Amino acid sequence: MRSSTIAVLALLPLLGSCGKDADPAPSPAKGPPPAPALAGAEIYQKLCASCHGAKGEGGKDYPEPLVGERSLEKLAVYVRKKMPEDKPGILSADEAQRVSKYIYDAFYSKAAQARREPPRRELSRLTVGQYKTSVADLMSLFANPQPADAKPGLRQELFNGGRRFRDDKRINDKVVPTLDFNPGSYPPAENVTIEEYSVRWSGGLVAPETGDYEIILETRNGARVWVNDETTPLLDGWVRSGDSVVLKGTLSLLGGRIYPIRVEIFKEKKEKLVAAALKWKLPHRVEELIPERRLRVGKFNETMVVRTPFPPDDRSMGYERGTISKAWDEATTEAAVEVATAMGPRLAKSDPQGRARKLVERAFRRPLTPELQQFFVDRLFAENKDVETALKCVIILALKSPRFLYLPHETGDAYDVATRLSYALWDSLPDAPLLEAAKAGTLDPVKEAGRMLGDPRAKAKVGAFYHRWLQLDRLHDLAKDPKSYPGFDAGIVSDLRTSLDLFLEDVTWGEKSDWRQLMLADTVHMNGRLAKFYGVELPADAPFQKVKMDPKKHAGLLTHPLLMAGFSYASVSSPIHRGVFLARALLGRRLRAPPDAVTPIPPELHPSLSTRERILLQTKGPDCQSCHAMINPLGFALENFDAVGRFREVEKEKPVNAQGSYWTIGGEDVKFNGARELGEFLARSEEAHEAFVEHLFHYLVKQPILAHGLNRPDLLREGFVKDGYDVRKLLIQEAAAAALPGGVKKAEERKTP
Amino acid sequence: MMDRRDFLRNLGLGAGALPFLNLPSLQAAPRKASRKQRLVVMFSPDGVVPWNFWPDQEGDAFTLKESLTPLAPFQKKMLALHGLNNRIKGDGDGHMRGIGCLLTGIELFPGNIQGGSDTPAGWAKGISIDQEIKNQLQANPDTRTRFGSLEFGVNVSDRADTWTRMVYAGPNRPIAPISNPHHMFKKLYGSEKDKQMIASVLDDVREDLKKLAEKVSAEDRKLLEEHAAFVRETEKELTAVAKEKMAAPPPAPDASLRDENDSIPKLSRQQIELMVNSFKQDFARIASLQYTQSVGGAKFRWIGVTEGQHELSHKPDKDEPAQAALTKINKWYCEELAYLCKRLEETPEPDGRGSLLDNTLIVWTNELGQGNSHTRNNIPFIAVGNGLDWKMGRSLKLKGVPHNRFLLSLAHGFGHRLERFGNPEMCAGGPVVLA
Repeated sequence: MRSSTIAVLALLPLLGSCGKDADPAPSPAKGPPPAPALAGAEIYQKLCASCHGAKGEGGKDYPEPLVGERSLEKLAVYVRKKMPEDKPGILSADEAQRVSKYIYDAFYSKAAQARREPPRRELSRLTVGQYKTSVADLMSLFANPQPADAKPGLRQELFNGGRRFRDDKRINDKVVPTLDFNPGSYPPAENVTIEEYSVRWSGGLVAPETGDYEIILETRNGARVWVNDETTPLLDGWVRSGDSVVLKGTLSLLGGRIYPIRVEIFKEKKEKLVAAALKWKLPHRVEELIPERRLRVGKFNETMVVRTPFPPDDRSMGYERGTISKAWDEATTEAAVEVATAMGPRLAKSDPQGRARKLVERAFRRPLTPELQQFFVDRLFAENKDVETALKCVIILALKSPRFLYLPHETGDAYDVATRLSYALWDSLPDAPLLEAAKAGTLDPVKEAGRMLGDPRAKAKVGAFYHRWLQLDRLHDLAKDPKSYPGFDAGIVSDLRTSLDLFLEDVTWGEKSDWRQLMLADTVHMNGRLAKFYGVELPADAPFQKVKMDPKKHAGLLTHPLLMAGFSYASVSSPIHRGVFLARALLGRRLRAPPDAVTPIPPELHPSLSTRERILLQTKGPDCQSCHAMINPLGFALENFDAVGRFREVEKEKPVNAQGSYWTIGGEDVKFNGARELGEFLARSEEAHEAFVEHLFHYLVKQPILAHGLNRPDLLREGFVKDGYDVRKLLIQEAAAAALPGGVKKAEERKTP
Repeated sequence: MMDRRDFLRNLGLGAGALPFLNLPSLQAAPRKASRKQRLVVMFSPDGVVPWNFWPDQEGDAFTLKESLTPLAPFQKKMLALHGLNNRIKGDGDGHMRGIGCLLTGIELFPGNIQGGSDTPAGWAKGISIDQEIKNQLQANPDTRTRFGSLEFGVNVSDRADTWTRMVYAGPNRPIAPISNPHHMFKKLYGSEKDKQMIASVLDDVREDLKKLAEKVSAEDRKLLEEHAAFVRETEKELTAVAKEKMAAPPPAPDASLRDENDSIPKLSRQQIELMVNSFKQDFARIASLQYTQSVGGAKFRWIGVTEGQHELSHKPDKDEPAQAALTKINKWYCEELAYLCKRLEETPEPDGRGSLLDNTLIVWTNELGQGNSHTRNNIPFIAVGNGLDWKMGRSLKLKGVPHNRFLLSLAHGFGHRLERFGNPEMCAGGPVVLA
C-alpha cells in the first residue's frame, strides 16, 4: 500500500484511551464502499489484512502485532476515524463496529491473546531469595524449637568481678525493654558495691525484612556483640583502643525470623563510667535504638544464612524468575559447600546417618524411595569412612539436586500441593504438619493456608510484596531542596517508611482486613518527629500512633507522604510519576517507555505556570498524548499534595486544580476531583480489583496467572469482592489456587520422579 | 642463563650507561628475571641472658656464645645486631610495648588493657614492617603471591590482646597468628581436598538431572539439559585443577597433634615444615613465626626446665641456676631457628637458582633485652640468610640506635626506600647500613 511512519501507526495498538474522541462526522467516500452487510472478518480481509497481516500478526509495512488494551467501543471509534490509513473514514459506524468486533475477538484483546498462545506454567527453579530461606529452614531441622510467645525485651545479668561472667558471681538478673544502659559511675544497682563488674544482655533479635542490617554498640568499655553466631562475635571491642566510642558491623538477615543476640561489657577498676546503647540501621533507614518490639527474651537458635553471592534473578516479567546460567550454577555449588562446611560437623555429632536421611527427605519435600535413599544417603556413608565427610557430601548433593532446586509445576501429588502452598506463602519448604497431612491424604489447602498466615514468614513475605508493589525500594533517595522544604531529612524519611509499614500491617493483619482502606483510610501513623513536620499536635517524643486526618482530603496510601514525596522531584510534585504509579500499580495498565527521550521542562523556565499547566505544556505533542492523555489526569488528582506530601490549597498563588479523569477499559469516562474522589473510584473499580489480585498472585506464585486458568483472574476477583475485600482471605484463596491443579493443562497422571 | 643485572655487572656498567649503548639485548629485559626475596620474623618472649647471647667481638671474626651455638653451620650467613633499642614510650607496660611496638615502631593507643605497670593501652598505632613490605610485594604483579604473608604461631594463647599480637595490618588492626597447624594446613591446602570431593558429587548431580529429564515435557527437558551442561563444565574444571601435580606433597600434621605446651617441639617443627613448603609453592614471600606471646610462660620440660619461662626471666642475674635455665631455653629457640635455616638451605628454589635460604632473610627477635629488668635496650636481633643484599657473617655493635632504623633497613632491602617508619623521630639517620 503505502509507507507511513511507524510512529504514527504505533499509536493504534499501544495503550489505553487517547483522550476523549468526539464522534467524527463521516467523510466523503473516496471509492466504492464495501458491499452492504459484509461480516467483520470479510471487511478485515479486504481492507486491513494487507498491512496488519491475515491473523493480525503484522505485515511488511506495519510489523507490530495488532494487540492492545482499548475497550471495544474505543477501538471502534478509532477505527472509524482513522482507518484504513490511506482512506480514513470510508467505513460507516456500523461497519467500523463489525470489523472492530472481529479484530477484538480474534486477536486484539487480552482474552484473545491468551487463547491464541496460552501461557503455561514453567519449570522454575528456586529464586535466590527462596534458595536462602529454604536452606535456612532446612538447616534448622534439628535445632530446638524457637521459644513460643517470647516476651519483648532482653535479659540483663550483672556479674561481680571483671570479665568472667561466672554464674556464682551473678548479682542482678532482670528483663529490660531495650539496651540503653547508663547508670553513670558505679554502683549500677542497689546491692552492687564492687569496682569491677560485667554485664551481659541476651535474647532474640526480630528481623522484620530480608536485607543487610548494621548493628551498632555505642560504648567506651570493653565489649563484644554476637548476632546469629554463638562463637564468633560480630563486633569485638574487648580491647578498646584509641578514641573510638562506637563498634559497628553489618550482617545479612532473612526476614520473618528471630536471631540470637548477646552483648557483654566489662568495667575495669580504673574506669569510671560504664555506658552502652545498642542500635541498628535497617535497610533504607537511619540509625535508631533497637526498639522493644524487635527484641525477645529467650534462647534462640542460630539460622544458617547463606553468604555466597548469587547473580540477581530476572525481573522482566514483573515477578522474579530464575534463569539457568553458569554463574547461577557456580553459585549453587559454592553455597552448597558453604552450608556443608558450616553444618556438616554440627550435624555429625549425633545420629549422622539418620539425620542425613531426614535432611534429604525434607529438602526434597517428600518421603524417599529406597532407591533415592540409597543414592543420596546410604551410598555416600558407605563410600566415606569419615562421618563428617559423608555428611558434607550428602548436603552438597542434596542442595545441588534438581529435586531441591526446582519447584513442581505439573499437577503432581499431595506433596507437590504442599510444596506449592508453602512456597506461595513462605517462600520456603513445607513444614511437618503440611507433610503429615499430605501423607495422610487429608491436605486441605484452604485450611492449611489459614494456619500458615499466622507464621511470621508469611507476614514478612506480604510486607515484601507491598514494598515491591509500591516500588518503595526505588524511593530510597528522597532528597528534597532544603530551601523549599527545610527539615525534610533522612530521619523524616525513615519515620515515613515505618509509618507506611504500620499502615499496611494494620490494613492486612488488623482485626478487620479491608483492602479498600488502602484507598480510603483517613489516618496516618505518626510519631513525634513526623507530627511536628506535618503540623499535628503530638509530644516531641511520642511513639508511633494512628492520627486522624481530614477525611475530605486524605485517601489511604494514595496520599501517604512517603509516596507523595517519593513520586516528586526535589522541589516540585510530579503528576507524571504519580500518574504512572496509579496506572501501573493500581490499575494494572501496561505502559511502554516514551518513544523519544524527554527532558522535563524546568519549573524556572515558566515561573508563572502551575505544575499542572507546565506538565500539560510538556506533554502536549501528539506522540506524547497517546499515553499522557491517560497518565496526566490520574496524577493531577493528587496535585493538592506537594513534594513532601503536605496538603496545599494554593500553588504559585493560584488555587490548585485537582480535577482528574480516567477512561475505563469498559468505555466509561470517570471524573474525580481530588484525592478523596480518586480513592473512591479506585475502591470500586473492577480494574483496580483485578490489578491487585494479579500483582499479588504473581508475587506469591511467580507463575503467569492465566496459566492457572483463563478465568482464574475473574474467579479470584469475584471471590475477593464477595469476601468484602478481605486481604487475608485473598491470600488464602490465591495460595490454594496455586497449590491445586488447574489451568490450561488438564490434570495429568501422577508422575513418580 | 645470565640475566640483565649480571650482564651489566660483568661489563662493569651501571644502569646509568644504558641510554648511550642501545644494545638490543639490554632493551626491555623482563623484570621477572630478578630473584625472589623473602623475609621471616621469628619471635620469642621474655628477653635473653645477655652475657650468654651476644658475641664479645665486633666484626667478621667472632665466637658464638652458648645460646647461639646452634647457628655454627650458618655463621657466615648471619648478623648479630647488638645495640638496637626500642625507644617507643607512651601507653602500655614494658611487655606490651615490647611486642606491640617491636615491628611497628610506633606507640600504642590508650585503651583498656592494663599491664603490670604504666597506663592501660589498646592496639598499636600503625602497620608492622612485615605487612608494609608485604603490601609492596602484593602491589607488583611480578612479586604477587597467593597470600602475600603467612602468620604462623606456636602455642600462642587464644586471647586477643596487646600481649598476643605482633603483626598489624594498620592502626588498630592486629593480625592473629595461626597457632594450630591443622588450621594452617587447611588454609593452605584444604581447598584441594574439597575440590576433589565436589567434583565427584557433581558427577552424581548430572546423573540425577538425566534421570529427571526423562520424565518431564520437551520444553522443560531443554532447561534441565542446559543445567546439566553447566554442571559438566564445572566438574571438568575442578577435576583438572585437582590433577595438577604439586611440587611436593604437602606436609599434613598428624591428627593427634594438639596445640598445647608439651607439644611445642612437635608444633614448632610442623609449622616450620608448612612454612618451608609455602615458600616452595610461592604461597607467600613474608612470614612470621611467633612462639607463644609476650610474657610467654611456656614450660620447657623437654629440656629439663620445669619452671615457666616468664617467672624464670624475672630471677636476678645472680641466680645462676635460673640464668642457666634461661640460657638453655634460648638455645632451644636457636635450635629451631637453625632447623628452619637448614630446611631452607637444603630446599632448592623451584627455578633452580640456589636454595631457598639464598633468597630468604630470617630475623630472630624478642620483646625485651633482658627479662628481669624489662629493659628494651639491646633488643635481640639475629639475622640469617642472604635474602637481602647485606654483608653477612658479622657481629655488629651499634651502640644505641633506635630500632626503627633497623625496620627501615628491612624495607630498603626489598627496594622499598622509606624515609620513615613508625614514630618519625626515631628514624633520624635513616636505615642502618648493612649492605
